[in-house]
Amino acid sequence: MNIINKSFLKLALLPSSFYQRMGVDTLKLKAIVTTKLMMDDRRPNSIQQTRRNKEKKISSSTIGTMLVSGLIGLFYLLFFSIGNDIVTQLTFYLTVFFFMLSLTLISDFTSVLIDIRDNQIILPKPVSDRTFVLARLLHIFIHLCKIVLPMSLAGLVYMLTASGIYGAILFLLLILFTTAISIFFINAVYIFILKITTPQRFQSIISYVQIFFAIVMYGSYQLFPRLLSTMSLDDFKIGSQTGIEAYPVYWLANTWQVLFELKGSTTQAIMAVAGVAFPFLCTVAVIRYLAPSFNQKLALLNSSTAGPTKAKAVQKSGKRSYANWLGKLFTGSQLEKAGFLFTWRMTSRSRDFKVKVYPSIGYMVVYVFILFFNSRKLSLADLAEESTKAKFMVLGAIYFTSFLLIMAIGQIVYSERFKAAWILYSSPVEKPGEIIAGATKAAIFKFYIPIVVFITLAGLVLIGPKVLPNIVFGLFNQVLIAAIMVYGGNKYFPFSLQQSNNVKTGSFLRGLVVLFCSALVAICHYLIYSVLPAIGICALLSVTASWLLFDSIKRLNWNRIESSYQE
Amino acid sequence: MEAIIRIKNLFKSYGAKPVLKDINLEVYPGEVIGYIGPNGAGKSTTVKILCGLLTDYEGEVTVKGFDVKHQTLEVKKRIGYVPELAELYDVLTPMEYLSFCGALYGMNEDVCHDRIYRIMTAFDLSTNIDQRMDSFSKGMRQKVLLASGLLHNPDIIILDEPLSGLDANSVIIIKELISKLAQEGKTIFYCSHMMDVVEKVSNRIVLIDEGRVVANGTIDELRDRHGDQSLEKMFAYLTGKDALSASADALLKALES
Repeated sequence: MNIINKSFLKLALLPSSFYQRMGVDTLKLKAIVTTKLMMDDRRPNSIQQTRRNKEKKISSSTIGTMLVSGLIGLFYLLFFSIGNDIVTQLTFYLTVFFFMLSLTLISDFTSVLIDIRDNQIILPKPVSDRTFVLARLLHIFIHLCKIVLPMSLAGLVYMLTASGIYGAILFLLLILFTTAISIFFINAVYIFILKITTPQRFQSIISYVQIFFAIVMYGSYQLFPRLLSTMSLDDFKIGSQTGIEAYPVYWLANTWQVLFELKGSTTQAIMAVAGVAFPFLCTVAVIRYLAPSFNQKLALLNSSTAGPTKAKAVQKSGKRSYANWLGKLFTGSQLEKAGFLFTWRMTSRSRDFKVKVYPSIGYMVVYVFILFFNSRKLSLADLAEESTKAKFMVLGAIYFTSFLLIMAIGQIVYSERFKAAWILYSSPVEKPGEIIAGATKAAIFKFYIPIVVFITLAGLVLIGPKVLPNIVFGLFNQVLIAAIMVYGGNKYFPFSLQQSNNVKTGSFLRGLVVLFCSALVAICHYLIYSVLPAIGICALLSVTASWLLFDSIKRLNWNRIESSYQE
Repeated sequence: MEAIIRIKNLFKSYGAKPVLKDINLEVYPGEVIGYIGPNGAGKSTTVKILCGLLTDYEGEVTVKGFDVKHQTLEVKKRIGYVPELAELYDVLTPMEYLSFCGALYGMNEDVCHDRIYRIMTAFDLSTNIDQRMDSFSKGMRQKVLLASGLLHNPDIIILDEPLSGLDANSVIIIKELISKLAQEGKTIFYCSHMMDVVEKVSNRIVLIDEGRVVANGTIDELRDRHGDQSLEKMFAYLTGKDALSASADALLKALES
């Protein structure tokens, strides 16, 4: 265990004699908390999870977490540049603080803090309820400290220089309050999710929440600076916004001001009181009502046979489903169709795939929004005349949206259930390439064709039929790029690799190369955009190349498949 | 009669560590082979070689006359394999998963669907056929896995601890099924640690230890050779661990201090 965990542990166990008087077995308490902290140290945190490098075993993720939190905290200093009254600045600062903290905690709560394995490992042992609950609380406390302290460090230093010791202490109080509200918020979200769904579905709902958060974060990073640039920042006053009085974080900011200056209007005084009372109420609500029922429900999470749950029936087992129809139409052999259907179904159902790929859908929506945001000056006439700007928009729509396809193709080889791929290796498949070809086609049909249809419809309405050749050419190019990506690199069976092998030699570099190629193709496309015969010839070439490549993929034999099947 | 599985001078090592040291075995159609041995004896390795999953071995292994190393696909077509504690794609439904397996074996789609319905009905899972398997119990999953091994009607069925997680009634069904399949002329290769079951279902027992065959014969032959005792006792004796009660004593002593 590293020094940080050790000192936190010491700190948490300081009132040992007090714990003992409460009836807690401090030796057991120490054993539980020590083990938990040790495990935390070896687990990738929510920020590192997205990082690719997992070759070496994670051993001190605590320091990593704290460093990253500290950096994020540094970034928040930006908000002290908005407006010139401290209430506005604090409101912004605390709002972002609240959201980031909630985002971090929402994933940590299930995976780290409330470990359902406890039910099997600790509960059967002679550990009293009090000891166990206190261990859990201390663990949560230490975990929170590790995130909150570094995150607020930069802000604290700023407040110390700007308003002295007293101001800084008040600021720390605000951080504490914000943390309390955040915990309340997360508990409430969890309870709400558990209420509307079964414990079995809980995990997947949480991942949707994470996806949603990721999109919101991305959107706000993109939109926030743009919005700010349209406002005159220097004399922006949050207090003059209507309805702001109902915003709890605004109360907190007022609390600071009233306590710091020890004066203020009646409204301010009321809000200051509310700012103190609200976090307390939240804490009481968490302790009295939310936490008990939460723990109870969470205990159910583990019991796989929690009553005769109504398993989710899948609509059509017959042969008339949409996927089946597509598969029949666009694949050659039975094996290819099997790969197609398999990938089609797995991509819409496996949780880890959705968490990895679906945020990109959201990013795209945000991107499209920004595109419109930027192009308000672009008139319909411009579009119809195919001005330079209009060309950019069309090509941007076609080529940028392929990002989703690239993500999907890169990701379909991974799965939590990668071990289930034994069935592919033990069956008498003559041309394993056909499965891969089917999988690639499924990705194209699922993650790119719908977008192209949308672009085509929008293009037809806004520009007219003359945009069609370019869209078709763009589509062919994307299919070609996807085929190159598979043939040149991802020669793995779908859903057959462990995610942590992700690192393998230059997969990141390969992604960059693909993006670069895509951009290069887009530039070439731009050059011949208005020359119809050239578009026609190139489209023909492109589609022929795709066809040939898919044919080669199908003919890949066992020696060429980069097998991951080992002992 | 021609042997359906023939293993001759089989050696296999992982790196420098030898796992199989000169295995010789012949199996005939309609036989149920109980393949037993302590943990790490090389059971799973043998099975993986038979299934064509591992081909970097030395020696000669043929299945139905096909060389496993060079005619792997022909071998795979004729084998139904149910690995121990196997994973499956549990976000799919049994119908979807098994159709996928069927396609991998190149089965006709209609035949495959029909069989899946019938197998699932026989396993009492007909109402679950269109439900995702992530809510299934261990026994239900095991039934689907067994179905995936039987679906293409293989000549040789290799089962690795097939009864794990099944309830008592299902165990009876599977045991019955094994003997009926054998009567039909199928060959069954049964790996297990449960000696009482092995004793009942197999007509020949092959015991390996540290990569070598240490006993091979019917249960009666083994009894003739090693005294009239249970398979469990013979297992302990043959794997040279007749000091088992000494281990238990040592364990007990460890608790005393």
